[in-house]
Amino acid sequence: MLGAVFLWPVGASLVASFSRDGQWTLANYGTVWRLYARDVAYTLGVAAAGSALTFAATIPLCGWLRARSFGPLEFLLKVPLFVPFVVVGHALRVFWSPYVPGFGTSWLGIATALAWKHLGLAALLMLGAFRGVDESFLEAARQLGSGAARVTRDVLVPMAMPALAVSAVLIFSSMLASFSIPLMLGRGSGAQMLMIDVYYRFGQHGDFETASALGVVSYLLAMGAALVHVRRLTR
Amino acid sequence: MLVQLAALLAAGLALAQPAMAQTRLNVAIAADVNVVEVNKSVLGPGFKALVPDVDLNVVGTGTGEPASRTIYTKIKAQADAGRKPWDIDVALVSMAVASQMVKEGLLARYVAQMKNAALVKGAEVKEAFGVNVDGYVVPMFHNQIAIAYHPSKVAAPPKTFEELAAWVKANPNRFGYNGIKGGVSGVGFTMGWVYWKTGLYQQLTQGPVDKGKDGAIHEAITALRDFNKGVVITNGNAGTLDALNRGEIWMGVVWIDQLVAWKNEGRMDPAVTPSLPAPGLPIYPLYLVVPREAASRDLAVRYVDYIATPEVQAKAIVEKFGWYPGVDPDRVLPLISAKSRELLFKGVSPQDLARYSRQMPLKEYHDMITLAYEEIVR
Repeated sequence: MLGAVFLWPVGASLVASFSRDGQWTLANYGTVWRLYARDVAYTLGVAAAGSALTFAATIPLCGWLRARSFGPLEFLLKVPLFVPFVVVGHALRVFWSPYVPGFGTSWLGIATALAWKHLGLAALLMLGAFRGVDESFLEAARQLGSGAARVTRDVLVPMAMPALAVSAVLIFSSMLASFSIPLMLGRGSGAQMLMIDVYYRFGQHGDFETASALGVVSYLLAMGAALVHVRRLTR
Repeated sequence: MLVQLAALLAAGLALAQPAMAQTRLNVAIAADVNVVEVNKSVLGPGFKALVPDVDLNVVGTGTGEPASRTIYTKIKAQADAGRKPWDIDVALVSMAVASQMVKEGLLARYVAQMKNAALVKGAEVKEAFGVNVDGYVVPMFHNQIAIAYHPSKVAAPPKTFEELAAWVKANPNRFGYNGIKGGVSGVGFTMGWVYWKTGLYQQLTQGPVDKGKDGAIHEAITALRDFNKGVVITNGNAGTLDALNRGEIWMGVVWIDQLVAWKNEGRMDPAVTPSLPAPGLPIYPLYLVVPREAASRDLAVRYVDYIATPEVQAKAIVEKFGWYPGVDPDRVLPLISAKSRELLFKGVSPQDLARYSRQMPLKEYHDMITLAYEEIVR
């Protein structure tokens, strides 16, 4: 099953990325290096910024929610889980355009939109981790005079670190592979997210080979994050 | 008893059978929802009135080149798997994909079987991207790339690319197009720019292919990079129309049919008018094709033949949707109303079309130009 749904397609795209006109070649990776190296850096930057924004927003909120349960806020925080990527891209484009023209199309706009979309997933994972921290630790911290912010920073985050690392890897990988939001928000010029380039190579040129090479680069980037996660698990 | 049971079973089976055997015709449309809709609600019922035992199954695969590639991928997969018959009978695909399918032997050469075969004429039904497509394709309609402008902001639209470049210099960030990654209108504008700058239109569209022309192409694209500094690059065809409608830009590169559709839907300022500067911009047909191993090939040819009928072209293609006819305009245009004619040719006259409609370049040159764009403009 794993072979059919994962190994086979990955193997097929690996083979395609190293071939052209029936010959083995590195030319597709040459094209990626020549035309899309900047986009690889851009994609990494946007995904890193988006992940950082997601955590910057979710950690204090989830810390606060751990201290005092407040259903409506928890519900609102999880709403982005159920909003499709395309809708997020379109809604934020329409919402930002009159007030902050140009923001939506910038790298920060794309990172912010990605962060908004991933708030729900981050909250789901983080709240579970924070709630797994024994109440006695929080009691002790509070009795020593710590407020919600201090408890979050000095108790919840360090104790929930393994779960936070898993969340970070999942969110970062998802952002690396984002397509709809950059497509809806982005411009036709300048650096692009990698999935836009994959779509362009395949859609406009029918160039499966370079598209596959771009796909393999994306696997490697996501795998780098996953390796960090696995090393943490096996430590 | 046994005889009675057999009679009962036979009667039951007869009831379960449809009154008449229906032939299913699978039509795949690689175009906007309005093109899918015209097949479902206008052309389909019209064809069914002539051929009652046909059952049309119209499916849209999306917009832009990727939509055509989806159809190509499906047919190619069936061909590679050796499966027959194939499950698409008629497809509407882009010029680029149709030419590739002809090259790979995936299409039937069917035009000669049509009653309206003589109406299928023009350079683009003979050759597309350097591939001989004669007999394999029938344009459903033609779509012209043009420059739309706000008459209240632009008193005299540029008549040439020189005037356009001067206008952009004088009015920075008031002209927009979608680059080469946001749709074919931007690709078409880039091709028009290269035709103008290099003066190589004949060679780029007719050949021979000469890698030595790369220098001239690079020079033209370098000039485009400088031009782009005063231009808004939108995120797609719809993005340009949207920016035009909201007044963010005063001129932009559009498909004429999308401009007309947006006006008809009340989404576009009716004053916005298309123009076609010299030496011109590409016209891009969408081709009706019949896959080589289509299950209902004869019926598929009849359906395309029906769409190519001048009366159908006049009513369904030109009057209802504002597209330019796919087949001989001399036979179709006399059949449309004066009002439709005025709408169709507002801003871009038949003479403009005759002089300034340009073909897309040969595939090799197309790839050289888009590669140069990616390398230089970025």
